[in-house]
Amino acid sequence: MTRVLVADDSETILLLMRTRLELAGYEVETAADGQEVTERLHVGEAGQLPDLLLLDAMMPRKSGIDALRELRAAGVETPALIVSAHQDATDADAPSDLEVSGYLTKPIDFDRLLDSIATLTA
Amino acid sequence: MSPSLANRLRIGFAIGFAVLTAMAVIGVGRFIQQRQDFEDAIARSYQVEMTARLRLERAGKPAAARATAVKQTARRSELRDQIADDTRDTALLVAAGLIAGLTGALLLFSGLIASMRRPLEELVEAAGRLAGGDRSARVRVGGLSETATLGAAFNEMAAELEQEASQRDQLDRLKDEFVLTTSHELRSPLTSVQGFAELLMLERESLTPKQVETVEIILDNCRHLVRLLNDLLDLARSDAGRLAITPRPTEVAPLVDDAVRTMRAQTEQSHQALSQQIEPDLPLIEVEPDRIRQILVNLLTNAHEYSPAGASIEVTARVVGADVEIAVTDNGPGIPEQQLEHVFERFTRGDAGLTQRVGGTGLGLAISKSLVELHGGTIAVESTRGVGSTFSFRLPAARR
Repeated sequence: MTRVLVADDSETILLLMRTRLELAGYEVETAADGQEVTERLHVGEAGQLPDLLLLDAMMPRKSGIDALRELRAAGVETPALIVSAHQDATDADAPSDLEVSGYLTKPIDFDRLLDSIATLTA
Repeated sequence: MSPSLANRLRIGFAIGFAVLTAMAVIGVGRFIQQRQDFEDAIARSYQVEMTARLRLERAGKPAAARATAVKQTARRSELRDQIADDTRDTALLVAAGLIAGLTGALLLFSGLIASMRRPLEELVEAAGRLAGGDRSARVRVGGLSETATLGAAFNEMAAELEQEASQRDQLDRLKDEFVLTTSHELRSPLTSVQGFAELLMLERESLTPKQVETVEIILDNCRHLVRLLNDLLDLARSDAGRLAITPRPTEVAPLVDDAVRTMRAQTEQSHQALSQQIEPDLPLIEVEPDRIRQILVNLLTNAHEYSPAGASIEVTARVVGADVEIAVTDNGPGIPEQQLEHVFERFTRGDAGLTQRVGGTGLGLAISKSLVELHGGTIAVESTRGVGSTFSFRLPAARR
């Protein structure tokens, strides 16, 4: 089963994401911030890496962007989608070496999100 | 304390008046004195002649008497020459004095004018800079007390303006910051509300029709809130000068097609005819396509929402001079004249009676105007009550 790691500092959003993604048939793990994401993936072995990261751009302790930067530096190549509250989040917000697979804005268009996940984990 | 212009003028006039008076008194006095002396000398000469002739003729010496007469006549002639010379000298002296006095006065005045000129020129220049927006414009304070006072007053005023402007800037920044943060912070809860409402709709078979309607209202309002947030964000960015565009040469026709396609479902629902007329061979325009589409959708949404069912809406694009003009025309109710000049202002909306039905944020036209201007274009409206409205904007054609 395709595993997606979702990180957001809002529990409500995490619940929403989990419900929507599980309905679509994905296995969902959640993290409350970027710190948790990096801790979990650093200790995890390659086989346990999720198939996709869905990270909120702005979180306390460690942002999604910073977490992704660390993961990329550690050689983690898992595709990642960044969720931003900014209306016009684009590649300009993050350095291109992060290999971000896509940007989504809040409120989330779930049809688009599910399309992107399906394409990236195919 | 710097010397004042008034005092200098007073002193200048006093000296000038004294010099001129002195010259006049001296000149006239001298003239009278010379005349007196001359007349005395002539009288003496006649007296001498008469006395001598009387004495000599009585003594029987007519030759000597004649000689005296000749001598005295010559003497008088000499005196007449003398007085003519003296009168001329006095006149010259007075004239020289007058000229000297006038020259002195002229020098004094031109000196005063020169000493006023530099500070005045500096003031004019600084006032120009201040009016042009350079809030740091100041003048050097100095010279005559009048210009010094004027300069000091100007500097004080400029300093106050600068302070007010910087306070205003700060308030503006705070306002922009506030709108940006608010719009940002509102997005997360909005995501939840919309997301969970959508979840409910995924299970609409198990909901009653009343519940489905309720959830649809929630979703409608979520979309409205998103639009409002996006519009507010655009305006705040535009105000802060942070609404950036990356223009590139763009074809007009696909943009219009795209906007018309976006609106098609809504206009068909109200049985409105939506058509487009695009001049062939339009030049490219140098724009950010998404932003122009946004403007077009804004204008089309207005035309759709303010026109009754069955109305016609037309998009036209044509060349006007060096520009491309894109216009949205409807045959709706038109805009009252007193509202027409305010339509591009924020939170301005048409007839209150219509707002119930109209879902706009009241920001669309303000944003459209900012966006058109950001592209170096202009936007305009024409409307006739009962006939319809035309919103048109012009954008410069891309250089080939």
